Amino acid sequence: MHILYRKRWLIAAGLLPALLVYILFVIFPIFNSVYYSFFDWDGFNEKIWVGWDNFEELWKDSVFWSSFRHNMIFLLFALFGQLTLGLLFAVVLNGKIIKGKGIYRSVFFMPVVLSTVVVSLFWSMMYNYQIGLINNLLIQLGLDSWVRNWLGEPGFAVFAICIALMWQYSGFYMVIFLSALQSVPADVLEAAEIDGAIGFRKTWSVTLPMISGTILTSVALCISYALKTFDMIFVMTKGGPNHATEVMATYMYHSSFSSLRYGYGSAISTAIIVLSFIFIFVSRTIMQKILR
Amino acid sequence: MSDDMRLSGKRPVSHRILQLLFSVMLIVNLYPIVWIFFNSLKTDDQLYDNPFNFPAIPKWSNYAEAWVSGKVGQYFMNSVFTSVASVLFILILSTWAAFFISRFEFKGKSFIYSFFILGMLIPLHSTLVPLFIELNHLDLLNTRVTLLFPYTAFNLPISILLLVSYMNTLPRDLEEAGIMDGAGVLDIFARVTLPMVRPVLVTVLVLAFIDTWNEFSYALVLISDSDLKTLPLGIAGMSERYKQNYTLQMAAVMIVLVPTIAFYLSFQKQLTEGMTAGSVKG
Repeated sequence: MHILYRKRWLIAAGLLPALLVYILFVIFPIFNSVYYSFFDWDGFNEKIWVGWDNFEELWKDSVFWSSFRHNMIFLLFALFGQLTLGLLFAVVLNGKIIKGKGIYRSVFFMPVVLSTVVVSLFWSMMYNYQIGLINNLLIQLGLDSWVRNWLGEPGFAVFAICIALMWQYSGFYMVIFLSALQSVPADVLEAAEIDGAIGFRKTWSVTLPMISGTILTSVALCISYALKTFDMIFVMTKGGPNHATEVMATYMYHSSFSSLRYGYGSAISTAIIVLSFIFIFVSRTIMQKILR
Repeated sequence: MSDDMRLSGKRPVSHRILQLLFSVMLIVNLYPIVWIFFNSLKTDDQLYDNPFNFPAIPKWSNYAEAWVSGKVGQYFMNSVFTSVASVLFILILSTWAAFFISRFEFKGKSFIYSFFILGMLIPLHSTLVPLFIELNHLDLLNTRVTLLFPYTAFNLPISILLLVSYMNTLPRDLEEAGIMDGAGVLDIFARVTLPMVRPVLVTVLVLAFIDTWNEFSYALVLISDSDLKTLPLGIAGMSERYKQNYTLQMAAVMIVLVPTIAFYLSFQKQLTEGMTAGSVKG
């Protein structure tokens, strides 16, 4: 390359602005989060060093573990709901089976770009006890005994939110799989057709292995999204009733900003980061073994 | 089994069932929007009376009330300012950095690139508490520019990824010819590189816009002044202020929904491509 392209001050001037903003507002907070988790601090008075106390408390905190369990339920629904449905949409819309594919693609992907707050309000209205679409439909169908306060009953609230999440995000996985399927060479599929692998079997034995890499990435995405679920729960239930829909991120929020325990909240943040990385690592190892 | 049918031009039963199933899914996706729209034009009494029909006399004043007394109008303007300013900063910082990462040779180049990309893996919520404290120290909570900092910073990784991976596929001939002619770096950046990356610039812009437009968590933690709230934060709070006034809430939801859907339909290609590339490459 030309001499000009080696001038140090120039390269520094090129990289520094972005690097500075990025370090100050993304990287630095992460380290701070770990640092604060060793303190007892209400945000105003002096910080008190407490060592591993916050983590010990977290380990014994039943609310934290039930939050974690809810994250796991969201993860299962993400894998067997959003991802699977997205894959089904993609496989069908990639083939020649259905007419008007463009419309389906547009409509299924649309919820992905909507604000989660809007989607949450939207679904809160659908689930509403009195005016909600779901209860009113049930009454129309004569299923009055099924009518319930979907977001107010601990046994149902988590699953009600899972459905809303599925409604919003299945389309996201659909477009990821669609773009992967479109890069599968057509002659591979044609060769399979000649061999007699038609329809479902062709999909299962020929197409899916070709996009196994994308499936792996999507599983990792599912995991990281499921572990950081926040917006929808915050708007729909705030983690209630009585922690029935609490997830790690909402518990972190409540501990920090409602109970003013920034140290404990930071310990939860740190736990979220660590758990995310462990999960992604473990799932990668397992999936790679399966795929081999 | 399906060979004969395909030859005869008939569609097998299984295909028809799938088509039917997909049509049902289509309705499941679209009907709720229609339902909200119908009800946003009612009085609350009409809503309780019959939540399915279109009202005999549509009450458009719900929209005016949401816009003015519900403050949706103000939230809307705040969101426009926040998103436009953030996107501007994102575009400037990321294209400038991507230009150097892609076009220049220097030590630690691939490290710096990976360092930026790493940001895509960081769970955003783990930075809420420290960022709140950091901005509090800097006296930057609850100002018009507060959200620009995290919004810009958190959009850099994906923007730089998209830009660099696109720039790397482009030949360097034109830029090198420019240098031979004695053009300065700024000249080359503005006249040669920028025009070449225009397609991906649009993708970056659209992705950053939709992300900042929809963002909720940072706004929730960093903004409490009701005059500064963005749309997502504002209408989330509205659902508490107008708890029983459902039709008004529905009008507010429609006001947010319609422009977003219009934006989506205009930039569907960029949104799909950008989100796919961002998730798969990262």
